[in-house]
Amino acid sequence: MSKTLMRFTGVGGQGVLLAGEIFAAAKIKTGGHGLKTATYTSQVRGGPTVVDIQLDDQEIYYPYANDGEIGFMLSVAEMSYKLFKDGVQEGGTIVVDPNLVHPTDEDRKKWNIHEIPIITIAKEEVGNVITQSVVALAIANTMMNAIDKDALIATMLSKVPAKVHDVNKVAYELGEKYAKEAMA
Amino acid sequence: MATREIISTGNELAAIAAVDAGCMFFGGYPLTPSSEVMHVISDLLPKVGGVAIQMEDEIGGICAVIGAGMVGQRALTATSGPGMSLKAEQLGLAQMAEVPLVVVNVMRGGPSTGLPTRVSQGDILQAKNPSHGDYKSITFCAGSLAECYTEVVRAFNVADRFMQPVIVLLDETIGHMHGKADIPTVEDVKAGIVPRKSFDGPAEEYFPYECEHDQPAVLNPMYKGYRYHFTGLHHDKNGFPTEEIETCRKLIQRLEDKVALHEDEVESYEEFEMEDAEVMIVAYGSVSLAAKESIRHLRAEGIKAGLFRPITIWPSPAAKIKEHTDKIKKVLVVELNIGQFHSEVQRAAARLDIEGLFKVNGRPISPYEIVNKVKEL
Repeated sequence: MSKTLMRFTGVGGQGVLLAGEIFAAAKIKTGGHGLKTATYTSQVRGGPTVVDIQLDDQEIYYPYANDGEIGFMLSVAEMSYKLFKDGVQEGGTIVVDPNLVHPTDEDRKKWNIHEIPIITIAKEEVGNVITQSVVALAIANTMMNAIDKDALIATMLSKVPAKVHDVNKVAYELGEKYAKEAMA
Repeated sequence: MATREIISTGNELAAIAAVDAGCMFFGGYPLTPSSEVMHVISDLLPKVGGVAIQMEDEIGGICAVIGAGMVGQRALTATSGPGMSLKAEQLGLAQMAEVPLVVVNVMRGGPSTGLPTRVSQGDILQAKNPSHGDYKSITFCAGSLAECYTEVVRAFNVADRFMQPVIVLLDETIGHMHGKADIPTVEDVKAGIVPRKSFDGPAEEYFPYECEHDQPAVLNPMYKGYRYHFTGLHHDKNGFPTEEIETCRKLIQRLEDKVALHEDEVESYEEFEMEDAEVMIVAYGSVSLAAKESIRHLRAEGIKAGLFRPITIWPSPAAKIKEHTDKIKKVLVVELNIGQFHSEVQRAAARLDIEGLFKVNGRPISPYEIVNKVKEL
């Protein structure tokens, strides 16, 4: 792998920032370069939020993903989806929560769109809505084959309190399962 | 020099740097996009016996920091453009009374409250003269995560050397981006600390503002038995107000010359792919990252572009800029304002044909925009 560009979008407060930090840190710990850059609005909770994640074997200079070069985007909010989808390269993969984001038929022709109910999985199957960022992390990593799974999980666990380690491990496994089903 | 790797944000690194450099006091008021500096240092300072205080507003924040500086402590405040505007009067007082302190300004869109969460470099000229009157600003600008650390450390040492405020400019992108920084070890940073000068003779022979024409005041910490006066008014050797003609002239000339005659001690810049450059890009802060990426693309296409990046913005590395612009015809200044440093490059180069690529909508300049502009030259 040389370079992976991913974009997570949602609204402020959903935890998409943390998923980006985990990706970047895990890549650095495995000997590569990783950078997370977030953009948000002054309406911190409820405003559109975008996180660009770059993973590279060579040094990364520009911290944002260039529009048209992003290989993977995950979106859990309609307004953010519409604002940021055009950064994804044609034929790239987009994962949306179908309860919250509604891609057009045109979008489906342009990109490889998967619908995974991320929030519902976190809320009902994992039992803790906050784990949605870890479900998203697992989906992205499974689809992009970006980083060694064990290294990513180890980094993730280092960034969440010990009392929620088990529930986040469950969230990761569920995210991976849904991603594999979507790709099948 | 030994280094250590930290995975963090620019704002967090700035806070860690301050504590490692011996800062024992933070006074401020949280302001996007600088707030994390205050969040982090509020956690760190109590652990080393220091104090962090959220004051009632930005003005209270800088006033508290000046007080800490008067008693001899290394002190920090952090803010963004609107906070700099509010702190301006007190920064003038610190220049006049010669109180060392460090200000981290994480730049966002302006003027006024502007674009709170978006990137800008609109405070370049403000950093040169935040307050009225004559003095010589010392301003650094971090162009990487590692420099958010190293430039804050340097700022504390330089503030104590020159006895005045030192501004460290970050921008929203650098302050919030999260990645790897290779930074010096705490031991190396501690070993590099040079405490400010003090006078240890008899109190009746102590005149804090009586010094050589190119040297800063020697201010002993308050409450140590040495009595003198702090004021924003023109003052005599004891710090008491005076209108005596020659004293007033010498004082202000010395504020200028203590820095102007020692610019070599603060000058800092990076030359990236400049050895054979036929196009010189001038950029600083986060924009220099886009410039470096653009140079990768341009060189792959056979265009010999290089980057000159001022790290010390004020005083600017003018002689070095001229050395390059005397040889290189095509010069492009790229910045997130409408030419605030462009005019400085024009001045340094004594050329009016310096090109510019500017953006002021709160969005970053992409490497491709720079590539396209260079091709147009």
